[in-house]
Amino acid sequence: MGYTYEGMFLLDNQVVRADWNRAKGAIVETLAKHGAKVLTARRWDERKLAYSIKGKNRGTYLLAYFDLGGDGVNEMRRDFDLDENVLRYLMLRVDAVPAGEVEKAAEESAEGFSVPPPPPEEAQSFERLAFGDLADRPIQEPTRHAPEPEEAPADAPAEPAVPETAGVEES
Amino acid sequence: MAEGMRKTAAPLAGRNCDDPKIDYKDTAYLAKFVTNQAQIVSRKRTGFCSQCQRELKQAIKRARHMGLMPFVQ
Repeated sequence: MGYTYEGMFLLDNQVVRADWNRAKGAIVETLAKHGAKVLTARRWDERKLAYSIKGKNRGTYLLAYFDLGGDGVNEMRRDFDLDENVLRYLMLRVDAVPAGEVEKAAEESAEGFSVPPPPPEEAQSFERLAFGDLADRPIQEPTRHAPEPEEAPADAPAEPAVPETAGVEES
Repeated sequence: MAEGMRKTAAPLAGRNCDDPKIDYKDTAYLAKFVTNQAQIVSRKRTGFCSQCQRELKQAIKRARHMGLMPFVQ
């Protein structure tokens, strides 16, 4: 018993900028691998995210409709979880493919149609926003439990330790 | 108004329960039902029936998950 599903995938803009068709192909391939019959797949929108996800402030949404049986859903979810190019995904059961969706998808796959490349990130990574130039610094190993370097041999001759010891001897 | 009755806020928008389901992708519509701090507003202010309010809640939460709407602002 199969159902029609709506899948929304948030893709990394870097991958989209490199090659949209390959990014879309990777999603469609994963769906097909688990027995889904992909009905439509198209670029829904490119947007600034409401909050940064995995350090990204913008992303491209792919909207797909597919038929799927009950088996293989968990494996499919795991594949998308592991895919680093998929920032977020959402799969919902729908009654039918909405009207006009097939036409929009066909428009995109028609020859001569080119997907506009996503704009550059306004602000870079979350780390850079939060920490500024500190984000570029190499991470240093914590030295809390490391033994203190002994500086005594170098400083000992200069220190006037004689009066103290002399006082102890007197008492 | 009788004494002791509270003045209720006007519903934000009328909605027919037979309308198509609230879609999480329609962020312009959903944005009407969140506060300045991005909290979902109560039934008292939306004027929705319980089923519609539940649809609204689900849609806003889905939009939040996909990064379309903020959790907090």
